[in-house]
Amino acid sequence: MNRAIVALVVVVVSVAVPLLSPPAWAVDRTFSGSAQLDYLFVPTEKGANASAIGFDGFTTEANVKVAADISQHLSANVKLCYGCHGFEADMAYFDYRVRDELNIRVGRFSPSFGAFNVRHDPANHGLSDKPLPYDMGRMLRRTDWNEGVLPSPFPDNGIEVNGTHWFGEWAQLDYAAYLVSGFKASENALDLDFVQSRSTYYVDNNSRPTGGGRASLTLTLSKTSDATLGASGMYGTFDPMNRLTYGIFGGDFSMRFGQTNLRMEYLVRRQEFDTSDASLFKYPIASKDGNFFLKHGAYIELEQPVSGRVTMLGRIDGLYRDGNVAATSELLRRSDVGRATFGSLFTIERGLRVKASTEVYKFSDVDPNGRTVEVGFHLAFVGVF
Amino acid sequence: MRWPAYVVGTILACSAAASCVSATGRADGLDVSKLPEAERADYAVFAQRCSKCHSLERPLESGIDSDDFWVAYVEKMRRMPSSGISPDDTVPILRFLHRFSETERQRKAHPAPAADDAGPTRAADTGVSP
Repeated sequence: MNRAIVALVVVVVSVAVPLLSPPAWAVDRTFSGSAQLDYLFVPTEKGANASAIGFDGFTTEANVKVAADISQHLSANVKLCYGCHGFEADMAYFDYRVRDELNIRVGRFSPSFGAFNVRHDPANHGLSDKPLPYDMGRMLRRTDWNEGVLPSPFPDNGIEVNGTHWFGEWAQLDYAAYLVSGFKASENALDLDFVQSRSTYYVDNNSRPTGGGRASLTLTLSKTSDATLGASGMYGTFDPMNRLTYGIFGGDFSMRFGQTNLRMEYLVRRQEFDTSDASLFKYPIASKDGNFFLKHGAYIELEQPVSGRVTMLGRIDGLYRDGNVAATSELLRRSDVGRATFGSLFTIERGLRVKASTEVYKFSDVDPNGRTVEVGFHLAFVGVF
Repeated sequence: MRWPAYVVGTILACSAAASCVSATGRADGLDVSKLPEAERADYAVFAQRCSKCHSLERPLESGIDSDDFWVAYVEKMRRMPSSGISPDDTVPILRFLHRFSETERQRKAHPAPAADDAGPTRAADTGVSP
């Protein structure tokens, strides 16, 4: 309760300060935000009640962001979000930029990983749901799968060095290297605990940072087209005793022709688990490579405006998990899920949009009712300022 | 009703909604056909480069009307990873934003009569020149 009050006060102050500030403040401060209300309807579940396998019904994601340029080299960003977890500081960091090629970021931020998280705001995405590799809380059967490969967003405390360099007018090279607290889980956990990783206390659980980095190359192909190729990785320990490791690696490619966007990414997580208690597992523990699982995820997405106010989107994504599972898990040693999504984005008014999409899931595992297919409808309103 | 029927139903519903939305409302960007010929090239660079990661309403509705601030803002965007905004691109982008801000300032200083405000467009939608 106290946390909620403190968060509310911070949000009110964040909103009030820019509004009440004298006009001169507008020279070096920007204030922005968005809010999305989404309704998920799952007709394939009995009584269209999918609460046992996902968060259907209404969900809201809202955020406000203040960016301040303190000097030519120093800037600060604070972004507060409200979502299924309540209030969260998604950003609270300083950037000290020595030059384009060298920027030092300290505080709380989402470390540079992949292409999807660059457009981190829900208002910047045409579909209500995130791609399965980055899914957090929206996918059906999410408990069985324990979310995606790298649930987004993933704000963390730490330091990042990043920069960009243009080679003439045709190539942009970006890099980032960081140390952050990293994901968490309890002793003897069989997977990352994303709730524990993003809740009190907001401190490292094992005194060892997770390290990672990203590099990407963007080529300007013409005045209306460009292409980006990127690679990312992070590695660290997640248990209190620093015995168990996780490594997440990914590659991404995107192209833009006029207003048409084609995006694709692949991620894989290698996740170790404690094997001292064999009774916790569904399958016998293999003597070789029996102490970890691999979770792969990929998506390909096409975004095509059909008029100034209407954009059509299509996405195919999936997850594949290979490795031992908890004795209580619905998954098998090898399980997969594929999904096809078709959607539209309608601009009602500048700053107000409607998202509508249908997603069809195909699971390799049969649910208690003998089903492997699920369908979800999303309808969302998004406001931007 | 099986899942293929859901997909077909969605496509039909989206098409119907798209028709309704296309007939009303206001797009994220400006109406190019209403821009002066000489300003369309600058707007094209702005619209292409500044819509890669976010919609155009972010800059157009930001309320920024200072050239100095636009310079700092565009520089910050240029340095974003994979922005695709080259140093040369900033010239036409800033030229467009200068004219756009000028129009916005004049619009605020001399608001249109109430009858004109009732419509879905405003000065910025009819072109960046007064």
